[in-house]
Amino acid sequence: MTIMPDCETDVFSAISHRARRRMLDLLTGAERPVSAIAAHFEMSRPAVSQHLRILLDAGLVRERRHGRERRYRLVPEQLSPVRDWIAHYDRFWEDHLQRLQNHLSTKNEE
Amino acid sequence: MKHTIYKEISLPQPPEQVWRAISNRAALADWMYPNDFEPRVGHRFSFHVPPKPEVGFDGLIVNCEVLECDPPNQLVFSWSAGGPVDNTQVSFRLEPDGEGTRLFLAHSGFDLSHPFGDQAFKGAGYGWAMMLGQLAKAIAGEASAGN
Repeated sequence: MTIMPDCETDVFSAISHRARRRMLDLLTGAERPVSAIAAHFEMSRPAVSQHLRILLDAGLVRERRHGRERRYRLVPEQLSPVRDWIAHYDRFWEDHLQRLQNHLSTKNEE
Repeated sequence: MKHTIYKEISLPQPPEQVWRAISNRAALADWMYPNDFEPRVGHRFSFHVPPKPEVGFDGLIVNCEVLECDPPNQLVFSWSAGGPVDNTQVSFRLEPDGEGTRLFLAHSGFDLSHPFGDQAFKGAGYGWAMMLGQLAKAIAGEASAGN
């Protein structure tokens, strides 16, 4: 079973940085121009653009030209690998509660 | 944004019997993993998930601490398996249901908005991601072994 193909590890490394997670949070509600995103950070504009590039490459945000500015929006479905590890635990408990049921019914027969 | 897994099952056995199955070391070893559990608040224990070389799983240790122990109603323990699965909580709540028991399981504390602390990515490879992959393999291995 392949859990983390390369495209997914890109998503994981893309959100491994605090600033990029904050950028995703900022884009949760609305599409925003790069200037509005940069206003939330102390770092230089090129540094902000570099982080946005990483998010773009991972497919987590999309870029759109609007006049002379670039606007960014979140692509939430790209975060699905992030939710998958929760799904592992969901299956984990499904499986173990089944085992608990088997355990109890076996004890009953004894 | 925190995420919680909820499960609910009906068991034909009374709460006292279900309680023994979730609060006894040997019983837990039977349906969970080898462990050094003791049913008292503050007790630290671990589950040793054995390796399964045939599915490429190296095994792992889950560190736990009993947080609540109210027989035969409620058992809560912490669950730390590395990376962002740190200090999550597993709770079993038992309710009488006719002759049997309604069992409510909640596994809470998964932080979905910021599950990937910079720390988790230090060191060789994506340690926790590999661990979770391994866990999934172990579950798949068990499922196929059971069928």
